[in-house]
Amino acid sequence: MLLDQDSAGDKWRIRPDGKEKVTGKLRYLTDMTFPNMLYGRVLRSDYPHARIISIDTLKAKALEGVVSVITHEDIPGLNGFGISNPDQPVFCFDFVRYEGDAIAAVAATTPEIAEEALHLIEVEYDKLPIIDSAEKALLPTAPKLHSNGNILHETDYCRGNTEAVLGKCVCVIEETYETPRQMHTYLETEGGIFVPEKDGRLTVYAPTQHGYKDRMQLGRILGVPDERIRVISSPIGGSFGGKDELNVQPYGALLSLSCGKPVKIHYSRWESVKAGLKRHPMKITMKTGVDANGKVLAHEVTILSDTGAYSTLGGPVLNFATEHAIGPYQIPNVVVKGKAVFTNNGVSGEFRGFGGNQVIFALEGQIDRLAEKLHIDPWELRRRNLRNLNDLGPLGQRVYPTNGAFEVWEAIQRSPLWEKSKQDLESSDRWIQRGIGFSMAMHGSGLGFGIPDPAGGILRLNNKGKIEVAFGHEEFGQGLLGTLEILLLDHFNCEKEDIHIVIGDTDLVPPSGSSTASRTTNMVWQALNRLKPQFLSALYEKVENETGVNRKDLKTGSGGIWTYKNGKKVRVMTYGEVAKLGIEDLEFSTKFHYPVTPDPVMGGHYLYTCTSVAAEVEVNVLTGTVKVVAIDHTVAAGPVINPMGYLGQIEGGSIMALGFTLSEDAVMESSEYITLNLDTYVIPTILDVPRSQSVDAIEKLPDGDPFGPRGVGEVGSVALAPAIVAAVKNATGTWITKLPINKEKLICDLPYLNNEKKVGITHDSGR
Amino acid sequence: MIQEDKFMLVEEKIQYVLNFTLNGEEISIAVHPSRRLVDIIRTDLDLTGTKISCEIGRCGACMVLIDGIPHNSCLTMAYQCEGKEIESIEGIGKNKLDPIQQCFLEEGAFQCGYCTPGMIVSLKGLLNQNKSPNYDEIEQSLAGNLCRCTGYGGINRVIKRLSK
Repeated sequence: MLLDQDSAGDKWRIRPDGKEKVTGKLRYLTDMTFPNMLYGRVLRSDYPHARIISIDTLKAKALEGVVSVITHEDIPGLNGFGISNPDQPVFCFDFVRYEGDAIAAVAATTPEIAEEALHLIEVEYDKLPIIDSAEKALLPTAPKLHSNGNILHETDYCRGNTEAVLGKCVCVIEETYETPRQMHTYLETEGGIFVPEKDGRLTVYAPTQHGYKDRMQLGRILGVPDERIRVISSPIGGSFGGKDELNVQPYGALLSLSCGKPVKIHYSRWESVKAGLKRHPMKITMKTGVDANGKVLAHEVTILSDTGAYSTLGGPVLNFATEHAIGPYQIPNVVVKGKAVFTNNGVSGEFRGFGGNQVIFALEGQIDRLAEKLHIDPWELRRRNLRNLNDLGPLGQRVYPTNGAFEVWEAIQRSPLWEKSKQDLESSDRWIQRGIGFSMAMHGSGLGFGIPDPAGGILRLNNKGKIEVAFGHEEFGQGLLGTLEILLLDHFNCEKEDIHIVIGDTDLVPPSGSSTASRTTNMVWQALNRLKPQFLSALYEKVENETGVNRKDLKTGSGGIWTYKNGKKVRVMTYGEVAKLGIEDLEFSTKFHYPVTPDPVMGGHYLYTCTSVAAEVEVNVLTGTVKVVAIDHTVAAGPVINPMGYLGQIEGGSIMALGFTLSEDAVMESSEYITLNLDTYVIPTILDVPRSQSVDAIEKLPDGDPFGPRGVGEVGSVALAPAIVAAVKNATGTWITKLPINKEKLICDLPYLNNEKKVGITHDSGR
Repeated sequence: MIQEDKFMLVEEKIQYVLNFTLNGEEISIAVHPSRRLVDIIRTDLDLTGTKISCEIGRCGACMVLIDGIPHNSCLTMAYQCEGKEIESIEGIGKNKLDPIQQCFLEEGAFQCGYCTPGMIVSLKGLLNQNKSPNYDEIEQSLAGNLCRCTGYGGINRVIKRLSK
């Protein structure tokens, strides 16, 4: 089904949070203020790698208007954070390992005084040699950045015998691919406000993708039981993985407790660039061999991932990359070796696609290059190697049956770009060359084997007579509220006035796991399916007891519970009337786990979505500019719950990938960012994107599938890069191996500059 | 160096009374003449629909209308606002949603919504000057507004409707 307003019908709904957003009335957490609020700032390191000799805060403390200056000495609990491994110091005291490292924090009565106080903190350093690339981290002479050395995590997957088989292949392609340090670039930078309450508790108003995880990490730092902290974490001005890890929270929490007053911190873009997470830059080498029929027989992969100074989720991202380097293809002999290494560069972490984007760019590039060598149509070559319904997953693990790969392979051929790609693309401008490319991917959802991935929710009738759900998930723009509204209206046939949705507040919601890994839609869908029968049964019993109408004849509907009397629909009770009878017995909760493969393959996924993409480009061979003029997607992710949300995720993920391919790179020189704001870190503007993208949603799941809609938060971002690269190749004859595409390099590599094969363009033309 | 600091301190204390109208209301406020308009609106007047993101005039999240024309309020200083009519997102669709806002709602032209007020202000500014702009003109008017969530999909659907 091509997703649009017409095909979606009445499921195309205005978002519940829409009116507040278009009128500017919505208070984001960084818009909030409190009486007597102080302003917090964090002192960052002067160097990417140094030993700290001394820290002197006396002058800063003496400045009028400064209320508190804190350092590592003021941390009651653990001086560290990190979702998978808390090796990032809240405040450094012995070494600094990147330029975003925090050394002290200040709370003052105005932002200007806080800023001035930062300049008065005296830190003496002893500069140390830096490791500014992943390769350098592995040199025997490299300084050790952590006690265990410079390797955060290694993966090593092997099946068959690649070495022996590669020798017998009729064609082998070996290539190295490089991907950029992409920045999430949420428009709302990290920030929040931290309020000590009268009862001694702390309320944290700060965006995150997992409120309970923040509470746990903060409890550990503050040395208080989790229950003493309340985390209010939605609404959020964008995250894309970037706010999953702690950012301002430790500083705001510690400062507010030390002052006994509310403290607000809101990073400038510059500080967000310096201190915030990025996508792991990876260098991926693949050696892939085929037989004469185009059957891929062997695939060797090495991945070198720059995780920066600290862990956060660098390990799991590498696991994900290892799994997705094999993709939807059935390959008998495989070796994937990955290393995620520490450097003095900015911290890399969780980012939409989670390591998949990088390796899929490489893998699809390999398939296209093999097809070129074999003179086989690249799409046909894919078909010959695609997985079938019941095949094992990439790492040999059992996965829930999926035919998505074949379905998206087939469906993209209905795109107008498919027919167009078979024709000669004429260009009216002598400098413009056009091309179309295709790619595909399968993408795992959920956190994967071996990682706790709990889910849960609450369904109740509240005391105001509303059907209420509570989930520990977050709204960062993706449309969770809209999805929940659609699900609830569908389940209870009621009006939006009859429901109430509670999210993003640890005092009010149950633990539901993270809002990451394309898992949320699936988790809330499953939770409601579990909760609905119990809730309705209790509700109808109560109504029957009150009214005498047989529970079997009752149905929820607009404003209350209805029945048919003499063929006429009548409302038996309103929800409000039922609530007045007591609500204690009308609350149900559920806890369960994200579906996981039964095979003990660390990080291996069980549920997969698939996508294929077609992209058309115009390459200006005079300037090297690549303009993407059309993008069509197919996505096999089960039923579409929220069409506007689904379409928005694919469109938005896709353009994020367009930036990854064409313009985005947080450039570091000697481990210092030189792209400090949005003037030099260039995300796509409206003039850089196609005016429309089509999204063909394949809703069919294998018969008897119990898991329903898969999430689509990431899948739109994973497969566009290789399609653009294939299109550029078709336009110019040049293969790209490094992203973002460098215009100068693209021009210099154009084949006709070297052999003048192309007619019509010579060096002096255009004069 | 010391002298320069003293000079700065003296200058910090300069305040003057800025008079302008904001969303039709007359405002008189004592501020430093170089205070940024975005801080006057967001902090001094607590109208937080105007957002802050890059602070260098690149993203458009802080866009307001000054005498009907879109300006980045992060690059506008107090003294430049003297006697001006300024409109922020709070002034648009105050009583009834503006058709632009209605289009944004119906077309799914926002997700996190943080860039949305700026987008709507830019479009309002264009439509103030040009009652029936074509697609290219509308697209151009949004060139200074960055959105990270939507990939401009829904925003392009809005443009399609507005250019009809």
